[in-house]
Amino acid sequence: MKLIILRNNLKEGLSAVEKAVSENNNLPILKNVLLKTDNNQIRISTTNLDLAISKSILGKIIEEGGITVPFSTLYSIVNNSDSERISLEQDNNTLILKTDNYEAKIQGLNEEEFPIIPKIENSKNYLEIEPAILKNSILKVLSAAQISEIRPEISGILLDFQLTILKLAATDSFRLAEKTLASNQFGANFNRGFKIIIPLKTTQEILRVFKENQSISIFVDSNQILLKTNDLELISRLIDGVYPDYEQIIPKDIETEIQVEREPLINAVKLVSSFSGKNNDIKLKVKDKKILEIYSASQYLGENHYLVPAKVNGPDFKEVAFNWRYLMDGLKALDSEKIIFGLNGENKPAILKSPEDVSYFYILMPIKNT
Amino acid sequence: MDLNQLWQSVLGEIGLQISRPNFITWLKNSQLIEKKDGVALVALPNNFAKNWVQTKYHKIILGALRSIDENTKKVDFIVNLNQNPSPALLDKETDLENNSQLIFPEFKLDPETNLNPRYTLNSFVVGSSNEMTYAAASAVIDDIGKKYNPLFIHGGVGLGKTHLIQAIGNEIKNRYKNKVKVRYVPSEKFINDVVAGVRSKNMEPVKSKYRGVDVLIIDDIQSIGGKKTTEEEFFNTFNTLYENSRQIIISSDRPPNFLPALHERLRSRFEGGMIARIEYPDYELRMAVLKTKLGERGVSLDEGVISLIANKIQKNLRELDGALNRILFYRQVKNVEVDAKMAEQIINETVKQSSHNVNPNLIIKKVADYFDIQPADIAGKCRKKEFVEPRQVAIYLLRDLLDLSYPYIGEKIGKRDHTTAMYAYEKVSREINKSHDFSQKVLMIKDTIDKESNS
Repeated sequence: MKLIILRNNLKEGLSAVEKAVSENNNLPILKNVLLKTDNNQIRISTTNLDLAISKSILGKIIEEGGITVPFSTLYSIVNNSDSERISLEQDNNTLILKTDNYEAKIQGLNEEEFPIIPKIENSKNYLEIEPAILKNSILKVLSAAQISEIRPEISGILLDFQLTILKLAATDSFRLAEKTLASNQFGANFNRGFKIIIPLKTTQEILRVFKENQSISIFVDSNQILLKTNDLELISRLIDGVYPDYEQIIPKDIETEIQVEREPLINAVKLVSSFSGKNNDIKLKVKDKKILEIYSASQYLGENHYLVPAKVNGPDFKEVAFNWRYLMDGLKALDSEKIIFGLNGENKPAILKSPEDVSYFYILMPIKNT
Repeated sequence: MDLNQLWQSVLGEIGLQISRPNFITWLKNSQLIEKKDGVALVALPNNFAKNWVQTKYHKIILGALRSIDENTKKVDFIVNLNQNPSPALLDKETDLENNSQLIFPEFKLDPETNLNPRYTLNSFVVGSSNEMTYAAASAVIDDIGKKYNPLFIHGGVGLGKTHLIQAIGNEIKNRYKNKVKVRYVPSEKFINDVVAGVRSKNMEPVKSKYRGVDVLIIDDIQSIGGKKTTEEEFFNTFNTLYENSRQIIISSDRPPNFLPALHERLRSRFEGGMIARIEYPDYELRMAVLKTKLGERGVSLDEGVISLIANKIQKNLRELDGALNRILFYRQVKNVEVDAKMAEQIINETVKQSSHNVNPNLIIKKVADYFDIQPADIAGKCRKKEFVEPRQVAIYLLRDLLDLSYPYIGEKIGKRDHTTAMYAYEKVSREINKSHDFSQKVLMIKDTIDKESNS
């Protein structure tokens, strides 16, 4: 293999695949990046056996071939170099990297040793979606999920494709967020619906690697997902498991519906949280049908109250406590000026949503009042 | 040699030919899952492993298999999804509960089976009112799909149907490890799934979800009556499972022949298995249930108070639990020992809520209806046996449900003396605790009164 590449191209390629590099004592080659010529392009791939990312970059190919070298070594050279062009040449298992005034010989391994990146079985049917829409939807639900060792099936985001709508949902069993996309926000040629659970780490990579300019094609089979643009491919295993039937959790009726402005509420939660205890609890109360009082008290620190004007529908309620971080996550995921906060007493799930946009909601459980 | 042993010796041989790191990375979680007509099927934990093993080790594996069984012609590889058994939920559940952050109640369920691990056979208290059903349940657990299929359990609200059928599921799951696939579903959920399937024009998930199990437990079957598509789907599911001798367990609030909305063919299917009835709990069972509940919580309560709860709440174990909770809560909050008098007050507060629509005339009418006499006969002077018993029962219920004064009751029932009313009340109370049949009778009357007052 012999190539000449613009440093920026190489850097961009390496940075796209960076996070799939892994330390694995059994298989040290996973620390490596695979460079391989492929149809007049240079393909850069890494994998940690859960996830594999490949990026194609342009460059001048003088001689075809492929090699793997330790990622961090190559990346730091490319990052620190000040040359515009870099020449790469393979000599057996050594990669010779040259610029005008610099030369490095990197010990590599034969490309045959590198794990084979799996393919997806069904390459006919796919979803097509704009990166901005996909990323925005993931961001809206992501904060509700957490890696759970007890429940692997919720350590990911549910992608529920129902032909005419596409739903994304995430939960950590304390809160749950769901975003629904209408058929004009994506394209699809599947003839039946499916539900898959994408590992959280994969969703974070999706957010990181896909740039705004090319639409993403999504392919799935029973245990993998492939996201693909012209020059980027991300393939990941799926989480095997049955996603909880969260429909039952969504409150059907709301006892007390409060409409408030989002910014002041965020501010209130932030301020009041300074006195919250070990379990991050802050308390809410409705006064005179028009004021939402948010307060917290600590026997060591003191106490504070914040009053937010609100429109209240339904009976006043005594007191309900929430983990302020969870509440904040929900408030931040919304982007409307006003929000609806639906409460159902002190131990049933509450719901946050926007008055205009029905495609998103965030449900959270209160903290038990002690 | 079983598949597992065979595979272990194959792995032993492969281990000699490839490096240790490679062996651990690619073959550690492999499994030989099938060998048929010379084709061996090897399961690997992920696609990477599948690709790698297929490309690099295919020959070695085939060779190793052949050296043990020379009929092996071919090896196929698949990605096995069920290799990571879900860890026990129970251990961690207590952790979650200690934290005051509430979790979605649905998340306490086992995602695989939809069962609540809280319901166990051990915590199911057996008495004369449910021993038959319990025996049938035990038989089903011992002999899945063969002995009593379907098992149809019916009984009134709050008598422990859900507890029992979930406990059967949990017991099966634990006893047969994960070899038997159990799924519990409330009918409501089944309906929702069918509706969702119809809406997304894809019934496959519903089918595979319910037809691919070894034990299907369906709760409150009466609610699917009259919903045509759901009934159809259920009927087909039922047949598929039944024909493959999979176990079906059904609960209902009434026996199959009292499910008019359900299609005849479905009903006759139910009647083809074992129909077991859970009756109203007798006094001993109620006491036992209360004591079990106290034991579970690790607290104690005055014997007199326990007996009072058992006496006051007769036909619903859930209410029994509720009353107990309330008393314990009261004790904890006020930090005082609850005596019989206080307990009675607490219980009355809750009982009254449910009977606010009950009036003396309704009680008299329902008692008369039950015994097939005229309401006037209850207040009448005739002392024939067929009138005396209803009269005493009516007096008992007036006192028990409405807490009316004895003089008032006496006045109402044919201008009798208050001592007559007192005597009748005590006699019936005694009789209820003594005779099972009699207490069932009184409870059924109470039930009809309840139904009337709530409608």
